[in-house]
Amino acid sequence: MATDEDLMTAVASGDGRALAELCGRYERGLHRFIFRHTGGRDVDDLYQETWLRVVRAARRFDRRRRFSTWLFQIAVNLCRDWHRRPPPEPVDPASFEDSRAGPSGTADASLDARRLLAALPEAQRSVVILRYYHDLGEDEVAEIVGCPKGTVKSRLHHAMARLARLARQ
Amino acid sequence: MTECDDVLSQLLLGRALDADAAAHVSACPHCTAEQGRVRRVAALLASDDVPPVPPALSARVLRLAAPLLARQARRAAWWTLARALAAALVPLPLILFLDFHLVRTAYGVLNVLLPGAVSFYVAFNYAATLALLLALTYGMIPIVAERQMRLRREECRA
Repeated sequence: MATDEDLMTAVASGDGRALAELCGRYERGLHRFIFRHTGGRDVDDLYQETWLRVVRAARRFDRRRRFSTWLFQIAVNLCRDWHRRPPPEPVDPASFEDSRAGPSGTADASLDARRLLAALPEAQRSVVILRYYHDLGEDEVAEIVGCPKGTVKSRLHHAMARLARLARQ
Repeated sequence: MTECDDVLSQLLLGRALDADAAAHVSACPHCTAEQGRVRRVAALLASDDVPPVPPALSARVLRLAAPLLARQARRAAWWTLARALAAALVPLPLILFLDFHLVRTAYGVLNVLLPGAVSFYVAFNYAATLALLLALTYGMIPIVAERQMRLRREECRA
């Protein structure tokens, strides 16, 4: 099976099937990451923009790097920019209720998790999502968010303290 | 970062504590107090329910990426061709130099053995054959470059 990095080489030479293969591999993980990061807003747009940036920058991709790290780095940067934008129009509560009421019956808990994540500063949220939900190592998280490993640890620590405080309320 | 932070991080990530960490938790009043809260946070985070990816999303991405990919394919094709031509042009002066001297020497030798018109005819044909071979070789470069690019792309996908 072709590695992600091989597929990126093919994407750089304009191969649509290689891009489809990569999309298939990372579709779920990337979508979930963006969903958790933005609390479910503008997910599709950000997901789409992430892949378009991948295609645009394909020629500059360094094959010695891991593709997944690079992909999430792009997604983190996009989410960061998204958070800096002016606040959007208020969400219709009814549609929000509909969207979160899933068949699993975990809507309330899910909302709590979403509220907890939303209460974290953007930098801490990225670390928590990548460490907790994507189970990435501290080194990889550090590379993705662009900070030293020690900063990842301290952000996780501060996030944990904050989450624990919130959970107590 | 203290040992407490490491242990509580492990709890948050839902990892099983090793013997040392478990001993630390039972001996440390701070960790003993905090572990319940951290486990609650971990449970809350674990319950996060993310909706599935819309089925048409990846198709939309591929559709939007198609013009970009087409442009990259064109650029890659030109780049491969340019590199192949550049590599092929390097030995061209030497080939022309050798061919020219070969034809001239052959014409000189033939001129001694045959009448002038016949030797000119043979040497001219020889030169024309060499020129044709050279043109065919260089004309094949774009075809070979394109084929090589296609093979490389297939190799990447395989």
